[in-house]
Amino acid sequence: MNLLAFLALIILIITIITLVFGIIAYFLYKAREKHKTKLAKKLIYKDVLDEVGGKYVFFE
Amino acid sequence: MVKTFFIISLSILLILLLSFVLIEYYNTFYIINNIVIKVGIGIILIFITLVILRYMVLLFFSILKTTIKATEETKKTTNKKVSVIIPAYNEEKVIEKSIQSIINQTYKNIELIVVDDGSTDNTSLVVQKYTYLPFVKLYKKSNEGKAKAINYGIKRASGELIMVVDADSKLQKDAVELMAVYFEDPEIAAVAGSVFVSNQNNIITKLQALEYIEGLNMVRNGQAFLKLVNIIPGPIGMFRKKALYDVGLYDDDTFAEDCDVTLKLIAHGYKIDFESEAIAKTEAPENIFDLIKQRYRWTRGILQAIRKHKKLLWNFKDNMAASFTMWYMLFEAVFWPFMDFWVNVFILYLAITTGISLLIFYWWSLFTILDVAGALYCVLITNESLSIVFYAIFYRLFFIQFINLVKIFSTIEEWFGIKMEWGKLERKGRL
Repeated sequence: MNLLAFLALIILIITIITLVFGIIAYFLYKAREKHKTKLAKKLIYKDVLDEVGGKYVFFE
Repeated sequence: MVKTFFIISLSILLILLLSFVLIEYYNTFYIINNIVIKVGIGIILIFITLVILRYMVLLFFSILKTTIKATEETKKTTNKKVSVIIPAYNEEKVIEKSIQSIINQTYKNIELIVVDDGSTDNTSLVVQKYTYLPFVKLYKKSNEGKAKAINYGIKRASGELIMVVDADSKLQKDAVELMAVYFEDPEIAAVAGSVFVSNQNNIITKLQALEYIEGLNMVRNGQAFLKLVNIIPGPIGMFRKKALYDVGLYDDDTFAEDCDVTLKLIAHGYKIDFESEAIAKTEAPENIFDLIKQRYRWTRGILQAIRKHKKLLWNFKDNMAASFTMWYMLFEAVFWPFMDFWVNVFILYLAITTGISLLIFYWWSLFTILDVAGALYCVLITNESLSIVFYAIFYRLFFIQFINLVKIFSTIEEWFGIKMEWGKLERKGRL
């Protein structure tokens, strides 16, 4: 195997790894962001009270 | 002198090498008989030619711009008042250095306006330490986003010139002085400065440093030859206040308010320049997830700005400069990432089915040679370390592929209108 072919093979392998890694990293990022948004959106009693504008929060 | 000679010799060598690789690529094209493969390689060759042309034209314009600037005999001066606006949301870790860098500017006719956009941390407390200075003002408002915070500052600014600086960026002490003189030309509406990475502490930030000096600063220097810089960067940009009012200030309907306002200025026929020596150092994302978060916002923001101004795409007759800028941005934001991905997949397919793997080497080496040449040129005109050129090898090998992949996903999400949020990066305080 000559040098160019060897280098081409290495680049080929790195390309495959990068593409796979990139796709996985992107979906992991999306999952992380989703989780963060979910946490941030947890209801806090005081916030709900402010939103309702009354003295109590009534649950149906 | 030795450094210059070394860099020029190396650049000539690189151009020769580039020609050699191109010839080899064209030879491969002619010896292939399979029509499908031939068409695929033909498309790649057309694309390579386009990219090389773009690169060469920008490099040539950049060299011309630098040469013209160097031959200007008299040093221009100005005394226009500059209002520096820092919009800040939870920036307690970094804003102090940013403020200090503005206080220490060599240009003295200046006021500093910090707009605290409803921070929930101690940003205001940090700023208050400096409000004893008569030219430092702090305004607090509820959180409405960066664009509205900047507008809030502009409406309270007394300067004829407005400079917008990100809270996570620090300016070199002559940055304001170097940029303000451009406004002696009444046609200039805005000037962009150079952005450098301050926290070069791992391979991700070093690769971004290379991307900033080559992909962003060199490109802007080239665009500045035509006075058509397409994005005034968030960390360092100066505007004529009257021009900003003419275009209706910043809009908050995109996630790339800097790109949007620049496009509005170009659409109004204003000229936009670039000062390579006005430097802002900024904190770049240090890990993969933060990098994805940043690029996701940039890509979707730019696409939103393009969509918003889509009428300009076919407006060659009335405003050729604006149409040209729009097509250029579309190429960078959409065509290039998709094409790069397609080429990689096509070459992988070729390698698996026919065993031709040399093409991937040619593909990589062509762009790596261009990147090394561009990086060398940038090192020559900036004070960035020569060692950064070494990273050009890895830059094309995985960094740009990774960034392009994120751009593709972001483009798809933007296409389908998936809801997004600003995606604030966590500051490390390494300015």
